[in-house]
Formats: sequence, structure tokens, C-alpha cells
Amino acid sequence: MYSHNAEQFDAAISDLLAGRALEIPPEDAPLLTLVETASSLRFLPQPEFRSRLRADLLAQAVLPPARRGLFETNPTLPMHSPLKSRAAREAVLPPLFSTGTSMLPVRGSHLAASFALHVTALALVFTSGWWMVKNGPRVRTQLAGRLSETVDYILPVAPSQSHGGGGGGTQDKVPVAHGSAPRFAKEQLTPPTVIMANEAPKLPAEPTVIGPPDLKLPQLGQTGDPMAAILNPPSNGAGMNGGIGSGQGGGVGIGYGPGVGDGRGGGIGGGVFRIGGGVSAPRAIYDPDPEYSEQARKAKYQGSVLLWAVIDAGGHPRDLRIARSLGMGLDEKATEAVSKWRFAPAIKDGRPVAVQISIEVVFRLY
Amino acid sequence: MNVTEYDAERHLIEAAQRDPSRFAQLYEANFDRVYAFVARRLPSREEAEDVTAEVFHQALSGLASFEWQGTPFVAWLLGIAVHLIARRWQRATKHPEIPADDLEETGVLDQTERHALLAQLVDRLPEDQRHVIRRRFVDQHSIREIAQELGRSEGAIKQLQFRAIETLKIR
Repeated sequence: MYSHNAEQFDAAISDLLAGRALEIPPEDAPLLTLVETASSLRFLPQPEFRSRLRADLLAQAVLPPARRGLFETNPTLPMHSPLKSRAAREAVLPPLFSTGTSMLPVRGSHLAASFALHVTALALVFTSGWWMVKNGPRVRTQLAGRLSETVDYILPVAPSQSHGGGGGGTQDKVPVAHGSAPRFAKEQLTPPTVIMANEAPKLPAEPTVIGPPDLKLPQLGQTGDPMAAILNPPSNGAGMNGGIGSGQGGGVGIGYGPGVGDGRGGGIGGGVFRIGGGVSAPRAIYDPDPEYSEQARKAKYQGSVLLWAVIDAGGHPRDLRIARSLGMGLDEKATEAVSKWRFAPAIKDGRPVAVQISIEVVFRLY
Repeated sequence: MNVTEYDAERHLIEAAQRDPSRFAQLYEANFDRVYAFVARRLPSREEAEDVTAEVFHQALSGLASFEWQGTPFVAWLLGIAVHLIARRWQRATKHPEIPADDLEETGVLDQTERHALLAQLVDRLPEDQRHVIRRRFVDQHSIREIAQELGRSEGAIKQLQFRAIETLKIR
């Protein structure tokens, strides 16, 4: 029992706060009212909480709408709320139906562009897979061709310049005439000539060029420069010091000396060069991949074909020969592919020249 | 709430929808009601504070989409609170059913209104009485602790407590 003074009222309050049973007679209505009021006071909020929450809300209020939260997506929304259906939509596609959660504004056009890009990317993924299934063998073949290696036709530069060749002429105004060079000999008694200045010499001597005597050149009947383009009129060419051609020194051709062709000294020069000694290597500028032969692909046959080829001054491969065969149709495939190649020609003394090279074409399956 | 009060609240809501910083007025006008409603339905002060805070944060987030339908704004807030409390009960008891909607019970809004009024009346108490009431009922301090804090006798603190509650009862 409590009386209505402060001391005993506090005893009732202490019991109330401690959760103990209160002994208040029902007829003591004033005390009941007081205790009921006191009981309600237990649910007073803390002032600090109230002010702290207010500050939090104000901070939230100044944020952009997109950052204030996703209330509409919250499942605690009352079921009868008109926001419920919208909330459901936004929960599924927030970028489309809500303002989003980003600091940046969410626009439908951005979503559409993103959607289109994703669809395109997915389409590419799926169609590329389908295309690969359909064209797999072909792609593998092409890739094997791409893996083909062309080797050995880039040679190291030699330390000294090549020799050979010769040239001459009598400073004629007319270009040198086409014909056969005279035979090679170890000594030259008289240089070759197209126009005989003395048709009845007192001491006739056979015109020769200096070079290996056993080296035979085709004889066409008329003496001249084998590399000349015209047959007539007869001319010794624009060179000097005797001989035929535009060079000097009593030989035939454009070189210097008593030999034939480009170069200097004697012997045969010009024609097809080898790489090195002032002759740069040709550089492939168009090299389509060789294809795998059907037979070799089925047999999963791999290896390399070694070709010899001449790359002429125009950069075209010619005189292709198989130096090391692989078989199963791959030799033909290698020859077919290399014949289509184009090169930046080899250069000697600033001029494009023909060179002989080796090309190794490797066929490899993966 | 009379027609004038409804209109005032409606204007306040519309103003807050245009300028969210005006939400503070809605908060001040409804905090005591929401807290009183929540605190009586949860076992601890911490939980009551958590739910109250969540109610207002969600209300602020969804304020732009709120449509005036003629019911007091606090009813919307308490609807949010009911669902938050129900969710807590579901988590705590793992019971799949949502408790009956408290708002449908007779007198709930009136009772909430009375409790909110009591909180407002406490704010109007004299300083010493208000301090004692908060220390005693909010912080759950003993009379002795309050007396030591204020440098007064325990009897004086008990008198302040008694007079404050008498005042609140009378009002």
C-alpha cells in the first residue's frame, strides 16, 4: 500500500520501474491515475535521440533525390499504399522506374543505349560462336597458314662486295644490240664487237670475254649483249674502251672489265644476285597464307616445305623450285601461295635487282 | 484534427515535397506520436529508436510519391511503423504471420495522441522537474543518483518527481 505523499509514491514508482507488481487498491483512483501517468513516462524519448534524428533527416533531405533512399522498394510499405505497384516495378528495374541510386541523373536514353550495346555484344558473342562452329576447319587452316614461317631468305650481309661482270662499248649513239656474248677464255686477245671495223685483219683473233672457259653461254648467232632489248640496228653500245654494252673495259654488258654483265673484273656478273655483299634482301609486302591440303589436314600432317625462288627486280617471285618436299599436296600449296607473294625487291647500288632466296613454309596444325 | 489543421498539414506536406528541408516541420509535428506508438510495442529503447528513425527516413525518401488522401499524415507514418514492427517480430519469432494491424484497433490513434501529448507536456514542465522526470524515467536513474547529480536531498528530488507527475496528471 502506498500513501499519497512523495516518499511513498516514489516507492510505487520504484516498483514500476523495476517491473515488480504494484499493490494499489482499485478504489484508490487518484494513485492509479498518478501511476498510470508515471508508467506512460517510461516511453518518453531521449532528447538527444530526437535532435540527432532530426539532424540526420536534414542531412538526408539535402541530398539529391536519387540518394535519399529507396523507400518505394521497401517491403515494409503498407499493402494498401498506392506506391506498392510502383515499388514492385522499381524493385525489378530500378534504373527504368525510379530515379536510381547514383549521384548522376538516370535517363531513359542512357538505359536504351546501354541496352542496345549489351544486346549487340551478346549477338556478337552468339553469332561468332555459331560462325566458328561452321567455319572452324577453315579458320584452323588459315591460322596454321598464318603460323607458317618464311625463313632463310634474309641472309646476313657479307663483309665484301661481290665481283664479276664486265662491260664495254664504243660510245655509239644507238643502244647496244641484242646477241650472244662470245665464249669465255682465260685471256682476252680482242674484245667482242658487234660492228666489225676491220673485216679483213692481218692477224685475226677470236674475240672472247674473260671467265671460266668451261662456262658455256647460249650462242644465238649474232654477237651482242644478252641483256639488250633490241636486235637492230647493230651497235656496240654507249660504253667505252671496246667491247659491247654501256660499261667499260672490253667486256659485254653494263659492268667494268672484260667479263659479262654487271660487276667488275671478269667472269659473269649481273643476272640473279645472292643476298649480301651490297645486295639487300627483298622484303615481303604481300604474303597471303598458304592453305592446308585436304589430305594433309585429314592426316594431321605437319612439317615444312623449302622453296628456292628468284625475286626479280619487280618484286615478283619466279622460278619457284621445291628444295625440300613435304608431300601430301603441301608442296603445291606452298608453291601456290608463294607465287602470289609480292616483295619490295632487293637493292644493289640503289637499283632493284633480282635475287635468289630460300623460303621455308611451315605447316602446323594446332 | 479540424479542417484548418488538415489544410495546414496538407500545405506542409506539399511544401516538404517541393523542398525536402521542410520535412523537419513534419518531423517535429509527428515525432512524439510515432515514438510513443513504437516504444509501446517494442521491448527496448534501442529498438524503439531504430524503428522510429527508420520510419522517418523511409517517409522522407517516399515523400515525393506521397498522395494526399484526406487521412492524417501520422496515419501514413504509423502504417510504416506497423510494418517495420511486424517485420521485427517476424524475424524475432520466425513466425510467418504479420500481427494484426494495430491501427485498426479501436482507440490506438487516441492513445498514441495522448502519449504524444504527455511528451509535449513534459517539455513544458519547470526546468528542475523536467530534469528529474527525464533522469528518472528516461535514463532510469535512482533518486539517490539524481540527488547527487543535482546536489540536493533525496527528499527534495522525490518532491519534484511527485509534483511533476501531479502536474502532468492534472493537465
